[in-house]
Amino acid sequence: MDIFTREQTKSTPWIHFDPRENRLQIQGESYPENSASFYAPMMEWLEEYLNNVGDSGVRVDVELVYFNSSSSKVFMNLFDRLDEAAKNGAYVQINWMYHEDNETALECGEEFLEDLENVEFNLLPIEE
Amino acid sequence: MQNEIRSFYHQLQNQGIIFSFSGPISQSLLEGIGQTLKQKMSLEETSTNVIRKVFSIFVELMQNIINYSAQRVTSQEADHEISYGVLIVGKEEDQFYIISGNYIQEDQEAALQEKLAKIKSMDKEELKQYYKQQRRLQADEASKGAGLGFIEMARKATQPIEYDIARMENGYSFFVVKAVI
Repeated sequence: MDIFTREQTKSTPWIHFDPRENRLQIQGESYPENSASFYAPMMEWLEEYLNNVGDSGVRVDVELVYFNSSSSKVFMNLFDRLDEAAKNGAYVQINWMYHEDNETALECGEEFLEDLENVEFNLLPIEE
Repeated sequence: MQNEIRSFYHQLQNQGIIFSFSGPISQSLLEGIGQTLKQKMSLEETSTNVIRKVFSIFVELMQNIINYSAQRVTSQEADHEISYGVLIVGKEEDQFYIISGNYIQEDQEAALQEKLAKIKSMDKEELKQYYKQQRRLQADEASKGAGLGFIEMARKATQPIEYDIARMENGYSFFVVKAVI
């Protein structure tokens, strides 16, 4: 499988999913006009990746300064899919990174954490 | 004409209006104005948490116009449509407010009315649960967003969301919504 990657834009994050390292990274802001269609290729890639992940360790680093409500839905889908993979035997660690002073980003992380059962979900503050 | 523009401009300023736009709205316009809005607030030393809330509601309202305004120019490429609406950002007694307005189809009125009334009746904890519940639902076919925008706004706002829907002619209604931060 190839690396899945997208450059950062004003309204979309940098995405770098590396199947060899089992490391998925998302960083930036997310408020595209149509989140479902923007993230569709990423979700397709993920589907294929998780179908073959077995019991590997997967590390997911997410650092989102801001995202809109339709992106929130996509990220919930992403985390649900990862949670399912964890239930099926993969070891999935999600690192939710937020800037110390960004209350909203922390709350968003907590709300994802509350809705997931099988992944290790870490809330990691970044010092200013 | 020149006099009218001058008095229009002063009228906006006297009412504490920071920004007002009426006309065709696109994602690139949203990105540009959003950046300027953040810059302006940060130059005035607005707290970063307030800036983030204002920006978040600004994005939801602009995208609401982009996705749902009934007055639009369609394009072959799905993501390159232009929609019409009006959006105002202002400051009143130390609080920011954002108002948006756009046409909707008359037959969308009831569902919108119901959704907004429901949101208005909820406290912050109920809004959180409703948000999480809606986030897990499959997006309905007609919705380009996630149906979460107004809930998100109500959660970020410091006062209940105000709205008005007025019946117009030819099967259209005009929808106005206001959030205070």
